[in-house]
Amino acid sequence: MRYFLRRTAFFVITLWAAVTLNFVIPRLQPGDPAEAIVGQLTGQGPVDPDQIRAVRLMLGVPDTSLLSQYWDYLGSLVRGDFGISYTYFPYPVTHMISEALPWTLVLVGVTQVLGFLIGTVLGAFAAWRRNSRFDSFVTLGSQFVGSLPFFWIALLLLYLLAFLAGWFPDSGGHAVDVTPSWSWAFAGDAIYHGILPALSILVTAPAGWIIGMRNNMVQSLGEDYTRLARAKGLSVRRVALAYGARVAILPNVTGFALALGGILGGTVLVETIFDYPGLGRLLMEAVGARDYPLMQALFLFITIGVLLANLLADFLLGVLDPRVRKEAA
Amino acid sequence: MSLLEVADLSVAYATKNSPPTHAVRNVSFSMAEGECVGLLGESGCGKSTLGTALLRLLDRPARITGGTIRFDGTDITALDENALRPLRWRALSTVFQSSMNSLNPVLTVEAQFRDMFRTHTDMTSGEIRRRTAELLEMVLIDPSYMRFHPHELSGGMKQRVALALALALRPKLVVLDEPTTGLDVVVQKSIMDSVRTLQREQGFAVLLISHDLGTVMEIADRVMVMYAGSVVESRPAGEMLHPYSRGLLGSYADPRAETVDVTYIPGRPPDLSRFQDGCLFVDRCPVALPKCATEKPPLAPVGDGLVACHVAPSTKADFADSTFVRSVRAVAEAPPVLEVTGVHKTYTRRRTSVTAVDDVSFALRRGRVTALVGQSGSGKSTIAKLLTGIERPDTGTVMFGDVPVHRLRGRAMRRYRKDVQLVFQDPFAALNPVRTVRQTLVRPLRNHLGLSEKDARARLESLVDTVGLAPAFLDRYPHQLSGGQRQRVVVARALAPEPSILIADEPISMLDVSIRAEIVELLDRLVHHRDLAMLYITHDLLSARLLADEVLVLNKGTVVEDGPTIEVIRNAQAPYTKLLLDALPNPPR
Ligand SMILES: Nc1ncnc2c1ncn2[C@@H]1O[C@H](COP(=O)(O)OP(=O)(O)OP(=O)(O)O)[C@@H](O)[C@H]1O
Ligand code: SF4
Ligand SMILES: [Mg+2]
Repeated sequence: MRYFLRRTAFFVITLWAAVTLNFVIPRLQPGDPAEAIVGQLTGQGPVDPDQIRAVRLMLGVPDTSLLSQYWDYLGSLVRGDFGISYTYFPYPVTHMISEALPWTLVLVGVTQVLGFLIGTVLGAFAAWRRNSRFDSFVTLGSQFVGSLPFFWIALLLLYLLAFLAGWFPDSGGHAVDVTPSWSWAFAGDAIYHGILPALSILVTAPAGWIIGMRNNMVQSLGEDYTRLARAKGLSVRRVALAYGARVAILPNVTGFALALGGILGGTVLVETIFDYPGLGRLLMEAVGARDYPLMQALFLFITIGVLLANLLADFLLGVLDPRVRKEAA
Repeated sequence: MSLLEVADLSVAYATKNSPPTHAVRNVSFSMAEGECVGLLGESGCGKSTLGTALLRLLDRPARITGGTIRFDGTDITALDENALRPLRWRALSTVFQSSMNSLNPVLTVEAQFRDMFRTHTDMTSGEIRRRTAELLEMVLIDPSYMRFHPHELSGGMKQRVALALALALRPKLVVLDEPTTGLDVVVQKSIMDSVRTLQREQGFAVLLISHDLGTVMEIADRVMVMYAGSVVESRPAGEMLHPYSRGLLGSYADPRAETVDVTYIPGRPPDLSRFQDGCLFVDRCPVALPKCATEKPPLAPVGDGLVACHVAPSTKADFADSTFVRSVRAVAEAPPVLEVTGVHKTYTRRRTSVTAVDDVSFALRRGRVTALVGQSGSGKSTIAKLLTGIERPDTGTVMFGDVPVHRLRGRAMRRYRKDVQLVFQDPFAALNPVRTVRQTLVRPLRNHLGLSEKDARARLESLVDTVGLAPAFLDRYPHQLSGGQRQRVVVARALAPEPSILIADEPISMLDVSIRAEIVELLDRLVHHRDLAMLYITHDLLSARLLADEVLVLNKGTVVEDGPTIEVIRNAQAPYTKLLLDALPNPPR
C-alpha cells in the first residue's frame, strides 16, 4: 500500500511542477509578452479586440502581482478555462480540444492496445518456438518493418489503397455530408475513414513489442525457475504462461504504459498525413497559426498524459511485480 | 534391479560457430534404491550436464548423442515430454545448482507448491495448504513464509524451500546439483544435515553433485569421480585409488594438525571438443606410464569399486612435487607496517543503519600474513576498503607508518595506493577480456612506477616469472587462461607497483579445489621473498591455517577471537569459531 501512496504523491508533485512551469515560462519573456503577441497578430491582419482580451487572459494583466496571477491561473485551470483560441475565435480552447480528443483517443487507443496485444502474443510465440522458421520470420520481419519510417508506410498505404485501388477515403475522419452524432450510420462512416490511419499504425506498432517480448521471454524461458517448472512436470501451458510469459511481460507492460503518454505527440504525423481531425492535427494547426492559448493547453494536456501514463505504469508494475512493491516500501 | 541404469551415455553441446563440446563421454553407472551417490569433479568436467541429462532436461544446443538411461525399469532416453510428465517430480526431482534463481520471482512460495500438487494429485486447496505447511516445517521454515515471494527469503531459506519442493511427492530419486554452493559454511552444513536426515527417514536415492569433496565424502554412500566428461572412479567413500581422485583428496587437510600439507594438481583439463587416445589425465598425472598416452584405461573393478587407470591397482599416486606444507613455526617480531586502531564504520541506507565494522584493531607486519575470517556480511570487505582508503572510518585510525590513511585525499591518496594492492575474489571479472596479459601488466608499471614504455616492457618477463608463468603467456587474452593462471595474472598486476602491503580478498574461493593450493603456495612464497605484509580475507579456516601467522575471527563487525593461527584453531573459545570449525569437512584420506 505504501508503494501506491508514494507513487501517487510523486505524481501530484510532478503534476504541480508541470502546471507551474506552464505558468512561468511565458512570463519569463522580457517586456510585456501580451503586447508582443498582439503585435505579431497585427502583422498577420486585422485584430479583433476580443482576441487581445484573450491574450491578456492567458498571460495575465501585467499590473497585478505575480502571486494573484498565479492564483487566477490555477483557478481557471480547475474550472477548465484555458482561454479563447485565436484561430478558432470565438471558440474557447477547451471546446476545440474536446472536439478533437475523442478522435485521437479512439484511433490511437484502439490501435495501440491492439498493436501491443498482437506484438506481445507474436513475440511470446516466437520465443516459445525460438529458432524455428516462425521465429525467424517474425523477428526479421519486425526488425525490417520497425526500421521503416512511419510516414513512408502511411504514404504507401494511402497511395495503394486510397488512390490506386480507391477502397478507402484518402482523408478526414468522416464524410463531409455526415454530421457527427450517436448513430450507427455515423459510427460506420467513422470506422471506414479510420481504417487506413489505423492500419498504418498497426503495421508498425507491434514491431517493438514483438522484439521486446521475444527477448524477455527467451531469457525467462532460459532461467532456472522455468527449467524447474518443466522438471516439476507442469503442463506446457502452465510453463509457458505462468513461468515464461508472466515474468517476461513485466518490462513490456511498463514500456507500453510509458509509450501511451508519448504517443499523443506521435499522432501528429498520422493525423497530418490522413488529415484526421484529432489532437495531433490540432496541434499542427495551432503551431502553424501561433495560436498560443491552444498550444499552451495542448502541451499541458500532453504533459499530463505522459504523467498519467507514468502513474499507470507504476501502478500496473506494482500489481504485477511483487519485487517492486517491496523495494519501494 | 537398480533404480537407475545409465549405459554408455554421451552428451554433446553442438554450437554453430565452434566444434561440439563432448561434455559427457560414454558414462555408465547404476544407482540402487535409497542410495546416496556423490558425483565429484572440477568445474566444467560435465557433472551438471550428466545430471541434467538424467532428468531429461537438456536444452539445445545440448543433445544426447549415444547410450541409454533406464529409470525404474523404463528406458527414458528418448521418451517424449508427454510420456515423461507423469514421471517428473513424482519419481524424479531435483534441486538446481543456483537455486537462488530456481523459484519464480512473481509467484508466492505457496503458489509454486500448489501448481505442482495440482498437476500430480487431486488434493483440495485445504489439503495442499496443510501439506505445504508440513513440508516447510520439515526443512525448518516457519509455514507462515508460504505467503511470501522468493525475494523476501534469504539465500539459505530459498534453498530449503527448493529442497522441500523437491521432496513434496516423495520421489524415488533426487538430483542435487551443488545444493549449497554460494551459501555460508554454517548454513551449508545445516542444509546438508537436513538432506541426510530426510534421506534416512524417507529412503529416497540422492545423486549429490558437488566439487566440494568434503561434503560428498561425509554424506555419500558411494563416490563417483568425473574427469573431462568420463567417470574415472566409483567406490564407497574412503580411500581413493585414481591419481586424479587422490589429487582432489590431497587438497583437504585438518587445520588442527601440527603439520598441514595440501597438494594440488598442476596443469589444466583437456579441451572437451577433441577426442584423444589414451588416458585424458595423462598430462597432469604424476605416475603416468608410456602406454597411458596411447591406451585408454577401462573402468574396471579394483578393490571394492571401479577405477579407470593403468597404474592404480598397483601403485598409489602421490603429488609430492606439488605439495604445500605448513608446519608450526616461530615468527620473528617485526615492526608494524600498517596499524588499525579502533575503527568503526556504519552504513546508513533508507533510514536503517548497519554497523559493518565495530571497534576493530590490528596491525600488519612485513613478511607476515594476517587472516580475517568470517562469513559473508561479517564486515571483512569493509575492512579491506578502510585499509585501501576507498572508505573512511567513522572513528578510529588507520596509520601507514606516519601517514594517516583515514584522512588522505587527492595526490597523497594516489601515492598511498601504490603501496597497497588488492587481489580480488573473482579472477574472471578482474581482468579486462580485450587486453592481453602484457597490456594488463604494463599499465600499473607505467602509472605507479613512472617507467617508460620500454623499461616497463623489459620488466614484464621477470614479473610474470615471479608468479610462475612462462613469458609466452604475455600475449594471451584472459579467456585463453585457466582460472589459476588468471589469478596468477591478477597477483602479478598487484605486485607490479612494488607494494608493501597486499590485500587478498578471498583469492581462492572461486578456484577449483585442485588448484587452490597452488595459489596459496604462490602467495606464501611472495610474502616471504618480497617481505610483504599481507591481509588475507577468507571464510575458510583451512586456507587461513595454511597461509596466515595470525588470525582474527570476525562476526557481525566485531572481532570475536584473535591470536596466532594455530592457537585460535586449536583452542577455539568463541562459539562462532567453533561453528566454523565444525562446518569444515574432514574427509578420510
Ligand atoms: N550451453 C552450453 N553450450 C556449450 N557448451 C556448454 C554449455 N553448457 C556447458 N557447456 C560445456 O560443457 C562442459 C561441461 O559443463 P557442466 O556445466 O556440465 O560442468 P560442471 O561439471 O557442472 O561444472 P561446475 O562445477 O562449474 O558446475 C563444459 O566444458 C562447458 O563449457
Ligand atoms: S591411466 Fe596413466 S595417465 Fe591415466 S591416471 Fe592412470 S596412470 Fe595416470
Ligand atoms: Mg555444474
